[in-house]
Amino acid sequence: MSDEFEPHDVDARLPRLFSALPRESPPEPRALDDVITALKAEGFLRRRSPRFLWARQVAAAAALLALGGIAGARIASRNSLESMLTRTDLSLADRILLMQRAGSAYVRAANSYANAASRTDSTAIEVASRVLLGAAQAVARSKLDGGLTPSLTAALRSTAAEPPSAPRRRVIWF
Amino acid sequence: MTRRGLLSELTDAALIGRFLGGDEPAFRELYLRHTPRLRMMVMRLLGAARRADLDDVVQETWLAACRGVHRYAGDAKFSSWLTTIGIRTTYSRFARTPDVESDLFDEIPAPVGAGLASVIDLERALSMLPDHQRVVVVLHDVEGYTHDEIARQLGIASGTAKATLSRARSALRRMLNDGVSHVG
Repeated sequence: MSDEFEPHDVDARLPRLFSALPRESPPEPRALDDVITALKAEGFLRRRSPRFLWARQVAAAAALLALGGIAGARIASRNSLESMLTRTDLSLADRILLMQRAGSAYVRAANSYANAASRTDSTAIEVASRVLLGAAQAVARSKLDGGLTPSLTAALRSTAAEPPSAPRRRVIWF
Repeated sequence: MTRRGLLSELTDAALIGRFLGGDEPAFRELYLRHTPRLRMMVMRLLGAARRADLDDVVQETWLAACRGVHRYAGDAKFSSWLTTIGIRTTYSRFARTPDVESDLFDEIPAPVGAGLASVIDLERALSMLPDHQRVVVVLHDVEGYTHDEIARQLGIASGTAKATLSRARSALRRMLNDGVSHVG
């Protein structure tokens, strides 16, 4: 038995003891989370605003599109003829491939020009020949062809000097 | 100032308004503001034998309050309204399980002010009362409810509340005089 109580004074001390009882008990953090979860399950607390969710999805899609565009443009320009021509880190094999690509591109461009203009423009072949001649002379200056270029240049000069004869298929070979 | 700091300056009515709009931080603030007192009262009403039900009853109380918060008119203090729901929720728990006895006091917070031993003895004596007596004495002598209010809360006659309180106090005196640890 507690020695704080004597039979004669319990009545007098009860009110003071009642008022001294603790009035609060802190909740456990987990209990709050449980209530929040239950409330969300009942639809009381919004999970995420659908409006903001939609806006976030649009922003994410736009960002992905922009990133994809940038990456695609970078990859495409990295392998373009112009970009390859400016690079200094190519191996010899790469440079040979580059020359082939450039030559093929030139042939396609000249054919395209000839097909588009030769039937109505009599100077088309001359223009194409002179461009090719200029390219051959540039190659000759680089001394890369082992004497082939002078022969080709002479042939092209004579072809350019002749008047156009009967209609023929205008294909420029490289 | 932090969000919590800003919310702590809002009134209960303002927090309830935000909660009804789905604002979770507002509910958290409301919960943290009122749960300590609610939890202590429910703990005392349940008694030591039902201490394991404490957090369930507190959670049930909050869920019931949230479901009916649109009926909260704001003319009474929110804490009183919540306490009322807590009392009913606790009382309904008694109906589910018969009186059980236990001697667990590990969750009772340490009292301040009055002699520690005597307050603990009172807490122990309260816990050993039968459910219907403990509820009446806690509501009247600890929480400060009148007999009429207790009668309304528990659905009993006011005279019954008075008689129950009288019997509960006699039992308390007897236990405290005889030594709580020797009773039961």
